[in-house]
Amino acid sequence: MRKLTIAAVALASTAFTGPVSADGHGHAKISDSKVELTVHMHHKRYTSYDESWPVEVAACEMTNVCLKNATIGSNTKNSGEAMNLLLASGKIPDIVGTSRIKDVVNQYGPQGAFMPLNDLIDEHAPHLKAYFDERPNVRSALTAADGNMYYIPYLPDGKYGRAFWMRTDWLDKLGLDVPQTVEEYENALRAFRDGDPNGNGLKDEVPYFARQWEEVIRLVTLFGGRSSGSDTYHDFMVEDGQIKHPYAETGYRDGIKGLARWYAEGLIDAEVFTRGSSAREYLLSENLGGATHDWFASTSGYNRLSKDIPGFEFKAIAPPANVNGERFEEHRRIPIKPDGWAIGGMNKDPVTTIKYFDFWFSPEGRRLVNFGIEGEQYDVVNGEAIFKPEFLDAGPVNSQLYQIGAQLHARGYFQDYKYEIQWSNEFALEGIALYDEGDYLIDQFLGVAFNVDEQAVYDKHWPSIRTYMLERQQAWILGSGDVEADWDSYTAELEKMGLSKVLSAMQSAYERQYNS
Amino acid sequence: MSNNDTVYINQKSFKEKLVWLLDHFKREWQIYVMLAPMIIWFLVFLYKPMYGLQIAFKDYSIFRGIEASPWVGLEHFNDLFSNSQFLRAIKNTFLISFYSLIFGFPVPILLALMFNEIINAVFKRSAQTIVYLPHFISTVIIAGIVITAFSPSAGIVNTVLSWFGLDSVYFLTKAEWFRPIFIGSGIWQEAGFSSIIFLAAIAGVNPSLYESAVVDGASRWQMMWKITLPSILPTIIIMLIIRIGNLMEVGFELIILLYQPATYETADVINTYIYRQGLQSGQYDLAAAAGFFNAVVAFVLVMAANSISKRFSRTSLW
Repeated sequence: MRKLTIAAVALASTAFTGPVSADGHGHAKISDSKVELTVHMHHKRYTSYDESWPVEVAACEMTNVCLKNATIGSNTKNSGEAMNLLLASGKIPDIVGTSRIKDVVNQYGPQGAFMPLNDLIDEHAPHLKAYFDERPNVRSALTAADGNMYYIPYLPDGKYGRAFWMRTDWLDKLGLDVPQTVEEYENALRAFRDGDPNGNGLKDEVPYFARQWEEVIRLVTLFGGRSSGSDTYHDFMVEDGQIKHPYAETGYRDGIKGLARWYAEGLIDAEVFTRGSSAREYLLSENLGGATHDWFASTSGYNRLSKDIPGFEFKAIAPPANVNGERFEEHRRIPIKPDGWAIGGMNKDPVTTIKYFDFWFSPEGRRLVNFGIEGEQYDVVNGEAIFKPEFLDAGPVNSQLYQIGAQLHARGYFQDYKYEIQWSNEFALEGIALYDEGDYLIDQFLGVAFNVDEQAVYDKHWPSIRTYMLERQQAWILGSGDVEADWDSYTAELEKMGLSKVLSAMQSAYERQYNS
Repeated sequence: MSNNDTVYINQKSFKEKLVWLLDHFKREWQIYVMLAPMIIWFLVFLYKPMYGLQIAFKDYSIFRGIEASPWVGLEHFNDLFSNSQFLRAIKNTFLISFYSLIFGFPVPILLALMFNEIINAVFKRSAQTIVYLPHFISTVIIAGIVITAFSPSAGIVNTVLSWFGLDSVYFLTKAEWFRPIFIGSGIWQEAGFSSIIFLAAIAGVNPSLYESAVVDGASRWQMMWKITLPSILPTIIIMLIIRIGNLMEVGFELIILLYQPATYETADVINTYIYRQGLQSGQYDLAAAAGFFNAVVAFVLVMAANSISKRFSRTSLW
């Protein structure tokens, strides 16, 4: 057995360093005879594992490890529910892959539902080990409270998520420059409100709108506050090694004060809290919306509206400097998602399974999962995978890839940004270049894994505190309360509700996880 | 079965009772077959799940299962009752239910009485169809209609307000407006359909009562007060008891779709609280404790309503 293991490692390492080519398939063989592993795979886009996905067929051929579908709860789109059904059934398949798997494995892994991966990775998974050795922070972020790692995440590549967007053609029309500071930004919004840039004679422009009302709160960053420490709304943040909550900081107070004023003046969509996810589609295509804070890829696509609306130009602008003169973009793609896959606690062959996981981090596996099948979706040009033109034209690239089993987020893999850049439009690329140049991104809080006691403190206090924070937040913005007058009683109430207990539980988890 | 039967079995030995019982089943088996689906439904969907209620007193882990999770006594109840948001949710549940009872309960009765007075059959049928219709619309659509109707920029309500020169109001973010909007849309959706049962009761009133009233020279108004209403009173009381029993069951789907943090103050009810704190954050044990409390209160309410009704009107469910 031992001998076999070493041989496998040697084989796998050759694959790592060796040339990548179609005839390199032999390197990836994990087992001489065909091995079958059962899998639960659930994501809202694919509620069960499909053995006929071309990518899976190819992986099965390349590795000799083939997965058998054993997904529970395929009739629901809610992966959390499916996961609970799986856990309650007590029969955990060999591999479990789903969105938001992190909290599940960290909670139920120590109870025996999932297998710790640390030793398996160190002994049998050279590519995974190399990946983690290069990124100790990722390894820390994945570690549960008991010191074990229980899942291999989907690791997004590319840094950028959301950006500030503005109708630059409206700016031109009103004779304004692209706003560089918060004052200029406010003036631009005011000009949008008053200057009738859509030229219909009505004062119907909506200067700042958002698909998620939380993106209004995001604007506190322009006043020296923070709205979240990660890509999840209302999240904690780290400042000089201290865990804090942005909504208990004075910068946030000043930000809310500013936003309440903007809201009262009509610079922010009056209906922002109920307009919902169609806000962007509606307000842009009706030629009403002026500015928002949204994703690069999807938002840049709205420039297609220039066909119907003469001159329409919706461009990413650099984050305006805030009241303290700082320019930063709070949102970015998080490097580690809580999605991915894990080894079930009853798995009879964890060594083969971890080698299979490792395959997806090998050059061949990574190309397979990112680009699909050579000759079908992409060709190799100068050693790079380049999508075929007919594939790029056939519709959104990501959904085409999901259909063949590539880019599945319920799998642990390392995304390759080169896949995305090939189908980003010019406006997105221009915006990304702008953000690259300014280096506006800031570090994110990657989350902590609680032990049982910390979890109990968090569960007991945090949901109520969060509810209270959001209630006050909305009340202040809508003007049914004055943030400056209320601030002392607000912080006193947070204290009474146990915020400092939650923060110290997080702090101890954070120190255990990242400072070791 | 007559009283004689009862006397008869009481005097007999066990064996004879058994024979009687078998005989009884042989005779009446069709009735029991018809009863069976309901009994099975109760056992499977209501009685069996009661076994799971114990997780309200346990530190429940889905993976370990109900059996293997350790007992924690009343800890979850302690947490709940020391939480001001849960207390507020109890208050809101009662207030919303109470107001919808006060304002919502009489409406279907009034509707039924009104339909009963319509003489033109075509008009009657089309009017009924129109008021029944909202019942068949899904909650999500209702929420969409409500949000649109109360929208400050394009909503019909604010448009009408602007005709009178009033400022537009962002109703769905105002805590003081939540209850009227929620209860009002509930009445709009369900009043028509709920009136069916009262219409049926009215149809069952003996026509000879009306005939003799006409002979005595009673007006339509008098007939309604003196004949129709007293005749359907038992139905009204039964419906009222059922409503009171469901007092804790606020239609939380609509609340979840309509509420905002800004309106939690009046909108957050026990069920939405359970949904948010319990189910969304995976604390099933805490959610079970809140649900258990909810059920106990509902049980007390229905018992109380029933015995009050028994005492004052001699009408009761059991």
